[in-house]
Amino acid sequence: MSINKINRRTLLTTGAAAGGVTTFFGPWKYNRVLAAGHTKPIKIGLTSDASGQYANSGASDRRGMLMAIAEYNEKGGVLGRMIETTHIDTETTPATGSRVAERMISREEVGFMIGAVSSGVANAISQVAQKYGVIYLNTNSSSPTESGENCHRVKFVWDGNGSNFAQAAVKNAITAYGDKWMLLTNDYGWGHDTAAATRKLLDQYGGTVVDEILVPQGTRDFSSALLQIQQAGPDVVAAAVGGDDQKSMRQQVAQLGMGSSPAWINNQQDWPDVYGLPIENLFGVFGTTWYYKLDLPGVADFVAKYQAMYPDTSMRVPGNVFYNGYMATKNLLAAIERAGTTNNIAVIKELEGHVMSAEDRMQHHDAYIDPVTHQVQQTIYLATANSAPTETDDLFEIVSNTSPDEVQDMGAQASCNLESYDDTPTFDA
Amino acid sequence: MMTLSNISARSNQWITPNIAIMAVFLFTAPFWLTAVGLYDYIGLEIVIWLIYAMGFNLLFGYTGLHSFGHGAYLGVGAYAFGLFQHEVAVSLWGGLFAAVAAAGIAGLFVGLFLSHRRGLYYALLTIAFGQIFWFSAIKLRGITGGEDGLLNIPRPELNLLVTSIDLNNNVALYYFAAIILFILILFLWRLVHSPFGRILQAIRQNEMRASFAGYEVWRFKLAAFTISAMFAGMAGGLFSMAQQSAYPDVMAVHQSGLIVMMVLIGGGLVSFWGPVFGVILYYVARDILGGITEAWLLWYGLMFVLMVMFRPEGIAGVIHTLNQRFSKRPATQKAQVT
Amino acid sequence: MTQLVPHIFNGLTLGLLFALIALGFMLIVGVMEVINLAHGSLFALGAYFALTIIGVDPIADTGLGQWWLSLPLVSRYVVALFVAPVVTGLIGMLLELCLRRTYGRAPLYGLLLTFGAGIVIEETIRLTWGTGEQNLTIPDAINGATFFIGSIFSKYKFFAAGFSILAIIGVWLFLEKTPYGAIIKAGAHDSEMVRALGYDLSKLRLLVFGFGASLAGLAGIVMVPIWGLRPHVGIDVVIPAFLIIALGGVGSFGGAVIAAILVGLTVGITGAYASAWSMMSMYILLIIVLGFRSRGLFGRASALEN
Repeated sequence: MSINKINRRTLLTTGAAAGGVTTFFGPWKYNRVLAAGHTKPIKIGLTSDASGQYANSGASDRRGMLMAIAEYNEKGGVLGRMIETTHIDTETTPATGSRVAERMISREEVGFMIGAVSSGVANAISQVAQKYGVIYLNTNSSSPTESGENCHRVKFVWDGNGSNFAQAAVKNAITAYGDKWMLLTNDYGWGHDTAAATRKLLDQYGGTVVDEILVPQGTRDFSSALLQIQQAGPDVVAAAVGGDDQKSMRQQVAQLGMGSSPAWINNQQDWPDVYGLPIENLFGVFGTTWYYKLDLPGVADFVAKYQAMYPDTSMRVPGNVFYNGYMATKNLLAAIERAGTTNNIAVIKELEGHVMSAEDRMQHHDAYIDPVTHQVQQTIYLATANSAPTETDDLFEIVSNTSPDEVQDMGAQASCNLESYDDTPTFDA
Repeated sequence: MMTLSNISARSNQWITPNIAIMAVFLFTAPFWLTAVGLYDYIGLEIVIWLIYAMGFNLLFGYTGLHSFGHGAYLGVGAYAFGLFQHEVAVSLWGGLFAAVAAAGIAGLFVGLFLSHRRGLYYALLTIAFGQIFWFSAIKLRGITGGEDGLLNIPRPELNLLVTSIDLNNNVALYYFAAIILFILILFLWRLVHSPFGRILQAIRQNEMRASFAGYEVWRFKLAAFTISAMFAGMAGGLFSMAQQSAYPDVMAVHQSGLIVMMVLIGGGLVSFWGPVFGVILYYVARDILGGITEAWLLWYGLMFVLMVMFRPEGIAGVIHTLNQRFSKRPATQKAQVT
Repeated sequence: MTQLVPHIFNGLTLGLLFALIALGFMLIVGVMEVINLAHGSLFALGAYFALTIIGVDPIADTGLGQWWLSLPLVSRYVVALFVAPVVTGLIGMLLELCLRRTYGRAPLYGLLLTFGAGIVIEETIRLTWGTGEQNLTIPDAINGATFFIGSIFSKYKFFAAGFSILAIIGVWLFLEKTPYGAIIKAGAHDSEMVRALGYDLSKLRLLVFGFGASLAGLAGIVMVPIWGLRPHVGIDVVIPAFLIIALGGVGSFGGAVIAAILVGLTVGITGAYASAWSMMSMYILLIIVLGFRSRGLFGRASALEN
């Protein structure tokens, strides 16, 4: 441990803006200074939602992280240190996310934070994390802004984003279903970003947008929108509707039997949102980053391990949310091991540009962490409802896989501006 | 039943023992927060919410007007502060002024609409306006940043004539917010014991009677609403500094419900200090329960139900009762109604 | 080109669904002057009870469970449609017993107590049934699509709207044509008189609250095949219910029904022409109406105004 590395407590007290005119002498001088001995466990804060709209996905996310951590602890931890976790509910509310992050860093003294489904929460946490230099993994929020305008040096984004999914879907869908498109867009940030990405691709590949229907967040009844779609009669409806709204929409599209005509492109489909629902509720083509029935080595073992670790969970097989939580955590721990230190900057450098083999990721193509945006560039799968399932959980039929380079989000590349290493406080976790 | 009017007031004093106790707690907090298992940032949030809650209780407890959409003004203040930093200048006082002014104007506008309404209809309109503010905050992405919020709001430094203090540190910001809270408490204390405050209480007790007494009741209702919106705006400005962002969620109706819950549990209906107890209990209970169990809301809800059933006068009421029992003072001063 | 007629029709259907959602809330507010914020949680609870009755998960492996599951879905569904609201009503009665401590105090306390109870119920649902999305299966007869005035409509929506009409008539008969209704209405305004007439007021309140809660549960069962089922499904219920009562005027049953239809039409037509504003339209409607009529469309003086 070198002398110029700041201990967590000192860091907290001097604040991010070291060198400012802090002539303010407060009580924090008296705070206990922790000895950073190597037998001290590594503390990780799990910031997944346990209530609110994403409670269910949050639980799945957390199970993924815990499985990766359990694997490492069985091997004796990382760098000879065991891994401890603490979890606090972020309530699917950004303001709570900020508070939880502050508490985890200053009271629980966590060295790393993992977990988010909602982009608002991810954002809020990452802003606090950046202030203290604490590495934060956004496991499951698929908003393009996360690795675009709201990117941070300490934040790494593990899910495919709306733009990736649109790129994987749009070109093929024009050929397969027709060029007369209608957009059904949730009237908030993620919806608009995703719709904009779709529009751009339609321009590029010769599709036309007949109309765009904006549905407010919190819409439970889609009958007006569905009537409008009937009346316009497009070839394809590209829906960027998320969260509970999407669940209601799916229910209603299924009842109207409108799932196959027109064709639907649903940007992304999180596994916990559809698990246990009848197959009719799944319609159209949608994106995902992983499926438990992918015919790749290791997948079956992974599923078996999940079932052994979580025998009582109602979700009998792991899905993409679990997968992202697991992969993110595992790769973080591996990066610490490679770095040989828990120093945040060293670990960040270890993660940036890191290539993960297809085999390790249980995907079709190699993935890597984009050093410019900190988003994991990975295989994007398109899936549809499985008409010939081999078992009740076998809901998806994977129709294509696209390599990371073909679906790269160029918009994020242009709008992301990471803080410099020097502006990021450094410490040993 | 106990009301705000029968807990002894010492209304003629500037500094009462209670205010002194409050000051001691407020200004020593950073020294013992960690020792009791809390942390600086939560102290900061508590102080900010205290500003919000104290101002809210002027409307809710003292005037008896039930606003269930008050988060809107907190949100307006937060956005105004952030937008001022981004669009006008990085300035603490400018930002706070903008926050208070914007929330005050919003409150004045809504108040004009509300002040001829009573009871349930009053409450419902506050919800409807609150929802409109909330929807607008999400919809006007170009201005507010939509559901992701207005981000990267700086914490401008505090410029005093001789020196300037960096507020990036949570403790420094805590002290700044605590001083503001303390000044506002002194102001509120004077206000509720002024003739104006007495009229507000008269309106709560009987709006008809107050109007027969010759007061133009709606003007007072409007004033109370606007002042409490300005308090919320100040809290919002500080909140956006604390979080360095402003989010639409604080404007949502269930968040507005929380402040009602805090004020009532604390005993805002029976005591000036009620909101203080309520806010502290809420934050501390949530923080502790939230760290222990995922089902913290269940326990919190149960606690809340039991409280309403058995101790409806809230923590302040309980403390008052205990106080009386121990000091064995005769309860004669109770009967005094303003 | 947007054709107006199907949208108007759709708006009417929506309005009936809004009425169904608000019915139990309306009854409790109108008769007992208690604002029941647990309404949304009871709504969800009803749907979850129905889910368990139809699927009998806890005893699915026993002989009895097997026998029950061998029955056609229609009969299980019909049984659930009657039994689940009754069970929800019993929970509602339990809540009323707690609520008694707040009688005689400001209406605010009733509101707060039910708010807390709503949280407790929702969290209990989470612990009992899990956080995931579930599906309440409906019989084939009322599932699928139907063609009407040149558009595809959901059969189930028609069923739900028809059900709403039945429920509205049922509540109206209860209030207007039974002695209970008259006594309850008198009790709300003059409890002395009711007592003098020899009726047990507390029993009546228990009954009304139970009835209101079971209507909430019933609305839940009918609505979740459209909305989907998750523990917090009820959060979208209370605010519209609240709004409808204010719009129609507290204490006016007919007013509330008309208000619900009006809200449905507003939301439906806004949805057709300016869909982004469809949620906001109902609040704007409320502000406009209350701007002109301080007690809503048909409101009368109420203790809740104080």
